[in-house]
Amino acid sequence: MSGAAQIVFEGVGHSYVPPRGRRVQALLDISLQIAHGEFMALLGPSGCGKSTLLYLLGGFVRLTQGAILVDGRPVSGPGPDRGVVFQSFALFPWKTVRQNIRYGLERLGLPRAEQEERAQHFIDMVHLTGFENSYPSQLSGGMRQRVAIARTLAVRPAILLMDEPFGALDAQTREIMHEELLAIMRAQRMTTLFVTHDVREAVYLADRVAVMSARPGRIKEVVPIALGERTGPEVMKSPAFADYVEQLWNLVKTEAAQAVAGSR
Amino acid sequence: MARLILNPLRETGSILAVVLAWYWASATHLVTDFLLPTPLSVIQRIGADAMSGDLPAALERTIGAALAGFAIAGVVGTALGIAMARVRAVRWFFDPLISIGFPMPKIAFLPIFLLWLGPTIAAEITIVAFTVLFPVATAAEAGAEGIETVMLWSARSLGAREGQMLWQIVLPAITPQLLTGLQIALPIALITAIVAEMLTGSDGVGGAMLAAMRFADSPGVFAGIIEIAVLGYGLVKMMEWLRAALLRWHSETAAW
Amino acid sequence: MRNIAGGVLRWLPLLLLAAAWEAAPRLGLVSPSLLPPFSRALAAFWQLARDGDLFLNAAQSLWRLAAGLALAVVGGIGLGALMAWYRPVDIVAAPLVRSLYPMPKSALIPVLLLWFGLGDASKIALIFLGCLLPVLMSTYNGVRGVEITLIWSARSLGRSPLAVLFGIALPAAMPDILAGLRTALALSFVLLVSSEFLMAKDGLGYLISFLGDGGAYPAMFATVLAVALLGFAADRAFLLLTRRMLAWRG
Repeated sequence: MSGAAQIVFEGVGHSYVPPRGRRVQALLDISLQIAHGEFMALLGPSGCGKSTLLYLLGGFVRLTQGAILVDGRPVSGPGPDRGVVFQSFALFPWKTVRQNIRYGLERLGLPRAEQEERAQHFIDMVHLTGFENSYPSQLSGGMRQRVAIARTLAVRPAILLMDEPFGALDAQTREIMHEELLAIMRAQRMTTLFVTHDVREAVYLADRVAVMSARPGRIKEVVPIALGERTGPEVMKSPAFADYVEQLWNLVKTEAAQAVAGSR
Repeated sequence: MARLILNPLRETGSILAVVLAWYWASATHLVTDFLLPTPLSVIQRIGADAMSGDLPAALERTIGAALAGFAIAGVVGTALGIAMARVRAVRWFFDPLISIGFPMPKIAFLPIFLLWLGPTIAAEITIVAFTVLFPVATAAEAGAEGIETVMLWSARSLGAREGQMLWQIVLPAITPQLLTGLQIALPIALITAIVAEMLTGSDGVGGAMLAAMRFADSPGVFAGIIEIAVLGYGLVKMMEWLRAALLRWHSETAAW
Repeated sequence: MRNIAGGVLRWLPLLLLAAAWEAAPRLGLVSPSLLPPFSRALAAFWQLARDGDLFLNAAQSLWRLAAGLALAVVGGIGLGALMAWYRPVDIVAAPLVRSLYPMPKSALIPVLLLWFGLGDASKIALIFLGCLLPVLMSTYNGVRGVEITLIWSARSLGRSPLAVLFGIALPAAMPDILAGLRTALALSFVLLVSSEFLMAKDGLGYLISFLGDGGAYPAMFATVLAVALLGFAADRAFLLLTRRMLAWRG
């Protein structure tokens, strides 16, 4: 862990009333700190509210219980300091790859040439050179998510929020994307909150993994992952990696079973 | 408790506001009574027409003509659409006619029907049916085209005969799309029926309204607008209710 | 060669229909006063075109159509977007919109004639009021249906809510909006012709009733056909525009 906490969740809760039914307490009393430059994975069964927690930090969902501080200031609405990547890519389908990536830059008041240059830099970084003028509908799932990542990184957010970003991709593409994300992180360290239900993904990418319980969602345990610098997928073959996976899987397993039972 | 008062107010607030604005504009003589009669005079007119039996008779006439045309086109259009989907020769002949006719303003043909049938209810029914036929046939054809082959095969392998297939498989399967077509056609059918009435000078609500305008009887004109608005609302709601009742097996959520 | 043959085969039913139209009165199956032969309708049409009557009235009608539609498009998209974007506007306006939406708009013809007279204003107002709600509803539903992550993404890229409405929500809702505009276009023809039938001094609808009243049936049939084809052509042109605007859908 390097430096003081950049993101602080303090007693955060969230409840909502479904269209027909009683109030549901989705999140309860969540306290968590994420340090500068730290990669935190949020692991839990589906429906445990982990995405909601990310939406609260993103400022998309209004916070009513507890406090969320970023650099000591409470979150109020979305902002370019917190870049977001969604599972559904959320690309603007009527804009080309280049136009998508430039969208966030247009606001910055940069000269046109500099915008183009910066957009190109990020297009190259995610290996989409040659696809600048393609529409999202013409790209594969993996390529679309690269565009989304480039679009988010191009405005240089201090914090990166990723909501199951690789959940819609096939297994092979997902592994390639893991390596690309790690490479990006090596080049430009960002404080990251990464929501996933994939245990191996969490162990492979994160510095620490926060495991959440099912309804109401709480932080069950925070597990530091000490695997050193990830230099390639070989780490996954190490005994230490297997131990972490087993430890986290045991934590998640009971919750997942409860979630399935609860949803019946 | 506050909710019990506030929610209905919210639901009707804007409608109340319009009525109040109307009342205010006519009460202060911002515009003349001729251009905007007072709400009270209009309501009195509706009440008087309802009591005298004129209004029920007019509604019966209008609804009768509109629904008769609607029903005829519903049956013919459904049959035509299914036949187009299943018989090549039928499709060959009707496909260009339907695809050209669908976006045409069918109301333009009204003077031709008036020439043929005179200013009668038959002309009104014919123009409504002619208007509704195209969307219904298109919807039925699209629905019948979309039936999965495996569904037909499994019905056949369960021993269904051709006649049974039509009633037990094809018609239920195309019902959602057919209803969508009917729902699209209904507002245009009503618009057409009202205009046709105005042109034939019938005793329906539309005809009465145009007569009121000719006699510069503005409460009568405004009463007509309200009656027709309520009529349209009622028929559209009935159609929605029919859809919900017929499609209980279908997994669709109600949109407003 | 095969394409030409296929095209002929596809449109042969229309030719057959025209041939039947020509033959029926000539063979005495129907009275020529009720159905003048197709060739006579064409000749009458040619005469109308040469006299200029057709174009003068068509220009008048198209101007009313364009003005009414333009107002409805601006008003409908604007109000629909505001309702979808700002909850208070929605709460206030929704009941009114919901209760007026199913009203058969031809009921407005008499009152608009009362208010605005026989000229352009009453027709433009009718088309505006008639087409406003379909455009408004499709915009409202379209904007409401935009995937929320698109809006969140734009907001987290630093754009203001208003910039997101215009830059993201409205373009994303464009397929729905264009579908609503197509409905409005068809409706505008119906309302235009209806009101010109009932009361007007010019316009294509007026021309049809004028010719019918004067017993000039071949010309009346020709003009009816011309109006119908105009509506068809407008729809096809709009479809082409739609396809171009939505090319990004791939």
